[in-house]
Amino acid sequence: MNPAGAKPAPAADGITAFYWHGAEQQQLLVLRCTACKLLSHPPDAACAWCGSLELAPEPVSGHGSVYSFTIVRQAFDESFANDVPYVIALVELDEQAGLVVLANLIDVPVSEIDIGARVEVTFEDRGDHTLPQFRLADSAPVSQ
Amino acid sequence: MNRAGHEVVVAGVGYSPITRGGSPDIRTLTLGACHDALDDAGLTAGDIDGIFEYSFGGAAADSPIAISAQRLLGIENLTAYNDIMGTGPSGLAGAMDAAMAVGAGACETALVYRTITRNAGHSGAVRQTAPRAGGAMQFTAPYGYGGGIILAMAMKKRRRVAELGGSFDDYGHIALNARAWATKNPNAMFREPITLDDYYGSRVIADPLLILDCDYPVNASCAAILTTAERARDLRRPAVVVDALAYGTGARPDWLYADDFLFGGTIPCSRELWRRSSVTAADVDVAELYDGFTHITISWLEALGFCGVGEFHDWVDGGRRIAPGGDLPLNTYGGQLAAGRMHGLAFLNEAVLQVRGDCGDRQVPDARVAVVANAHGPQCGAMVVRAADG
Repeated sequence: MNPAGAKPAPAADGITAFYWHGAEQQQLLVLRCTACKLLSHPPDAACAWCGSLELAPEPVSGHGSVYSFTIVRQAFDESFANDVPYVIALVELDEQAGLVVLANLIDVPVSEIDIGARVEVTFEDRGDHTLPQFRLADSAPVSQ
Repeated sequence: MNRAGHEVVVAGVGYSPITRGGSPDIRTLTLGACHDALDDAGLTAGDIDGIFEYSFGGAAADSPIAISAQRLLGIENLTAYNDIMGTGPSGLAGAMDAAMAVGAGACETALVYRTITRNAGHSGAVRQTAPRAGGAMQFTAPYGYGGGIILAMAMKKRRRVAELGGSFDDYGHIALNARAWATKNPNAMFREPITLDDYYGSRVIADPLLILDCDYPVNASCAAILTTAERARDLRRPAVVVDALAYGTGARPDWLYADDFLFGGTIPCSRELWRRSSVTAADVDVAELYDGFTHITISWLEALGFCGVGEFHDWVDGGRRIAPGGDLPLNTYGGQLAAGRMHGLAFLNEAVLQVRGDCGDRQVPDARVAVVANAHGPQCGAMVVRAADG
């Protein structure tokens, strides 16, 4: 069981290991299909768009917009009991329409968040692993 | 549904007692519902040769497996059965499988049940997640994303209003409607009407999702008997025809990452349902649409074409459209929001009872066609049922 207060850590597997290694190196990596060129997230064994098995991780800008979010008022996991209220968001990355990553929005008053808000990736060190997270940013969308 | 061979009908429906307290045994609950459905149909357990049940599985205190029910009911043999896991279209999935099996001749008379308890159905409970989250959960659990699909539903609610317009009142009208109908159902859990003020004053779970956007966990079992039109000809109650059924998943199916975040598979499911059906949305007298979360019901109403996408706010007319006496009576037993979370199959049972004219105070006059839909996201299912011709 969890030691008191310890949040669940990602258990990387052969397909997702690159993602968590990237986070440790302060990089947000997404799989790009070498056949159809589209990006997919979360990482999977084949391209979600064309079924190709030829996928390669590549760094993305880490810039995006809030697609939607919720302010969690009630913890569903004991290890988050001291964090409420906290924000979970789906961030739409600038690189591809509809490409979303789930993360917390951190270091931001909840009153300042809205759909469409510009955000950028940041990395949270949790000891034996690192999580990509997002915070508010001033950046304009990069051209796709 | 007659394209596969036999015309399939629902011959009987049944319920266990529905309770908020205690820890009733899942076998007792299941037997209560199954015997009630058999009695309703005028059949005995010996007439059953197929069983299809839906459960979360694992350690959850919910439906016993099919052969467990077979043993409890003293059935000598099953020619078709299936245990459907929690990734299908909720309790309706059992009835959909049963309809396909009866239609294809794999069995003649199928028993379907969904049993659920507060313990199994209370997904908002605080849990202790395993210290390491694998699979899809490695991208969610470390962020405090728990409680099943609760937080996805909160994000869908916020996104819908931002993208399609309307307001959170729209969600409130689904919650109010459930209570309005439940006042007419003696077996419903919550029989007091509520106002929009009550709705907005209810506890915030995950802003903007309120506790009154969520269904209410109960201990209950719900059962139905499906058979062929020929077999049903001399049974106790009028047979209700399964006119059409369809599944729908949508593209890149997932609760979070799907192409259609707001509607999931409801739109392709509805399109296929009407393509297969002998009737259209305009012919529907009663709609029984899943309301585990209010967002789901709004999605189905638009997906099924009762109004256009994004038009619910105007169409619902302050709730009058779907209320008792309205043009489209919706969730006439109170749904899961007010009658309790029987997890899907009760929507079919209510549709059958409405088409038979057996609903007492809540009966919709001259109801002949009903549409039933279950679940959302990547696991949608829907069915049209109607009175037999002639």
